Amino acid sequence: MSLLDVDRLTVSVGNSKGTFTVLSELTFRLEPGQVLGLVGESGAGKSMIGRTIAQLLPKGFHVSNGTLVFDGHDMLGIDERQRRALLGRDIAFIPQEPLAALNPVLTIGQQIREHLAHVARGEGRTRVADWRATAIEVLQSAHLNDPAGLLNKYPHQLSGGMCQRILIAMAFLSRPKLLIADEPTTALDVSVQARIIDLINEMRRANGTAVIFITHDLRLARQICDEVLVLYAGKQVEFGPGPAVFDAPAHPYTRALQLAIPPTMAEHRGLFTLPDRMPGLMALNDMQGCRFAARCPLAMDACLSTVPADVTVGQGHRSACLRPMDTGTIQPPPPPEHRQRQAGTTPLFTARDLSRHYVTRARLLRKPDTFAAVRSASLDLAEGEFLGIVGESGSGKSTLARLLVGLEGASSGQMTYQGRDISGMDPETAAFRRRNIQMVFQDPQSALNPRRRVGAIVTQAMEVMASTAADRADRAAELLSEIGLSPEMAARYPSQMSGGQKQRVNIARALCNVPRLLIADEIVSGLDVSVQAQLLELLLRLRQERALSIIIISHDLSVVRYLCDRVMVMYRGEVVESGAVDTVFANPQADYTRKLLAAMPGETGQG
Amino acid sequence: MAALPLWLRNTRSVIGLTILVLVCAAALLAPVIAPHDPNEQDLLNTLLPPVWADGGDPAFVFGTDSLGRDILSRLLHGARVAMTVAISASFGAMLLGGFLAHVAGYFGGWADWLIGRIIDVWLSFPPVVLSLILMVGLGSGLWNVILAIILVDWTRFCRVLRAEVLVVRRRDYVAAARLLGFSHLRTIVREILPATLPLLITLMALEMGIAVVVEAILSFAGMSVGNEVPAWGQMIADARQDIYTSPSTLILPAFAVFITVFGFNILGDGLRRSLDTRLTQTERA
Repeated sequence: MSLLDVDRLTVSVGNSKGTFTVLSELTFRLEPGQVLGLVGESGAGKSMIGRTIAQLLPKGFHVSNGTLVFDGHDMLGIDERQRRALLGRDIAFIPQEPLAALNPVLTIGQQIREHLAHVARGEGRTRVADWRATAIEVLQSAHLNDPAGLLNKYPHQLSGGMCQRILIAMAFLSRPKLLIADEPTTALDVSVQARIIDLINEMRRANGTAVIFITHDLRLARQICDEVLVLYAGKQVEFGPGPAVFDAPAHPYTRALQLAIPPTMAEHRGLFTLPDRMPGLMALNDMQGCRFAARCPLAMDACLSTVPADVTVGQGHRSACLRPMDTGTIQPPPPPEHRQRQAGTTPLFTARDLSRHYVTRARLLRKPDTFAAVRSASLDLAEGEFLGIVGESGSGKSTLARLLVGLEGASSGQMTYQGRDISGMDPETAAFRRRNIQMVFQDPQSALNPRRRVGAIVTQAMEVMASTAADRADRAAELLSEIGLSPEMAARYPSQMSGGQKQRVNIARALCNVPRLLIADEIVSGLDVSVQAQLLELLLRLRQERALSIIIISHDLSVVRYLCDRVMVMYRGEVVESGAVDTVFANPQADYTRKLLAAMPGETGQG
Repeated sequence: MAALPLWLRNTRSVIGLTILVLVCAAALLAPVIAPHDPNEQDLLNTLLPPVWADGGDPAFVFGTDSLGRDILSRLLHGARVAMTVAISASFGAMLLGGFLAHVAGYFGGWADWLIGRIIDVWLSFPPVVLSLILMVGLGSGLWNVILAIILVDWTRFCRVLRAEVLVVRRRDYVAAARLLGFSHLRTIVREILPATLPLLITLMALEMGIAVVVEAILSFAGMSVGNEVPAWGQMIADARQDIYTSPSTLILPAFAVFITVFGFNILGDGLRRSLDTRLTQTERA
């Protein structure tokens, strides 16, 4: 008997505008000890599956059809008390944000003790004998150093990776039959991510636990999953054994997602960019045929009128497509043009020995305690060159970005732009720097003023110059079409746009005064791979049309490898390695670079 | 209903606004609609009960006080003082507190330290005592009452707004504005102020209610406007001797204070619910 048997499960939400289907006719089985990957873009309904199993659906959502049987229990008809007994014992969860999942006012020890008591109650015991010893054992199983000391620590004293290890250890404490892990590594650094995945793998083998692994990262899914379910707009488009799905995808969507990810190690190739975006809930009701048809490279007329049935394409491998066998014909575009030619050699920007210290504690009559966020970083950038800066969080790469654009003054060091010294913070230098160097911020949510219209945001730079409203409207239309948005978008507010569109507006604002150098801080992190591919193509197009130089800061090595000519690796405020992208990736010199490269999940399939 | 702005679709705001429009109308129209001169004494008809009680006189709808003055007329004229103080004092306190809050929150450093310490010292005085002391120093009169309330209550704005400014200042769009060449003043006015404005408006509504109470306390203590100007606090003070024989002379002005403050508070609460982004986000999600 399967551990989890989901049959034609349909989840709907009803609001004032009508009833909408969030998940439609989901059908899959999970055998004990197996790992099932749920992949798809954000908004596809991945997390909704986990919440349906736990019966923790948001207000207004309900299961409108189908069955969900876990280990012989009908999870949809089960009463509250029984369900609570299953959750946290037979079904465990690992959250996305480890710090948010732990109670900040209780020590780790107290929280483990509470959880032990919950598990003990389920087994009919009333007392936990020697919880401290058990807790230490649990922490040891997650390979945490000094477990006894950890028990007295509060979550904020630990790193995100440590908190996630603790949560994993707690989740496995009751030897659950099923573990639901919702993007467990998304908030963590790449180097930590690999260790977390190893830990989950090790613990699930030891306990014989089945895992539902929800992720948007196909590379991770390939690494860990026995079976994969691909979701698109609430519908299961492909289901099958991991190797089959990744090596011979039978749905164009799976293939397109794979090809949207830049290769980490494999040969250079272009990215497949899916046009547009996933239809929203509201649009689904009027849709006649296949939900993916509008973006599908293989779409035929029949796709727009017929809902494709699930067809079996191999051993346990199903696809909801009218042309499953033609998926292999989708080929990636050729590698970007810059791969074939040499970047310019005219120097544009240099930085020498930049350092930034922060005072952590002022002392009377003595030298204050300081922390060096950046330690003597130097870089050279030629005209039209793309430089990538990689490193984990806390490596000083964002501080370096702020120094380069002048948001913060350097403690020491020197910068020049076209031979002119721009290290000073005086108004004249600042104005010169502003005209030539601009920054694109990481989080479009925070970088766009929610109370301004898009048209006003992109032409914000003109506000301090003599300009008429008509000038600004013209420039806004120009900028929007340049970054691939329709000029009508100028009248919208940022909240009315998708994440990818917001990030485009973010880029357009920096381009308003036609700078020659852009500093882009993690501008594609947190976006879906399809949107990421669109943005990367946009940057390459700008490079071609404008001879723009860009310094890209990213934790994703494959993005840097795809876009950049040269790469700089930072670790704890210091530049540990720099050089041409292909050289550094093929033959890393610094230990840290080697570690980073080893931690990257592998490719998603043959390109 | 889509045409109405969000804050007007809130029942609380509508109730509060209705009450306040009525009180304002009473204040503005007092000289026209008041049946008597508020200071006219009719010593033959002192301490008359309201018209619905036994012995009431239709000429004096709410009855008269110990000097035979018409209570309804005095209530209507009293609203003039209450509303003038409420609007001017809260506006002044908002300007002073809001200005210092933006300076402290935006620039940080020693400016923030200095303003923070001034507030600490200021708040260590009990507010009523501080305003009484100020009134002694300033002398009585309508504008001095307003000034005293401003000088006492600006700290309330400053504290709350500074925290909000700190949050907004850390947003990347503020850094982006600086990178695009915005001066500090323009950054504050164009990027930060629009984000703090909802809180500012909400605080102002609440402050108006507080100002009405403080004015009533000051005039009760005889430290507000002169005797010739009718004020609610004064009416309550005058009614103290006759509290057992004719309770309505005390209850009516007290009720006027209550309903006005209630109006301001419920309006402020309604505004907070519809304007505070943190609340609206969680409610809509």
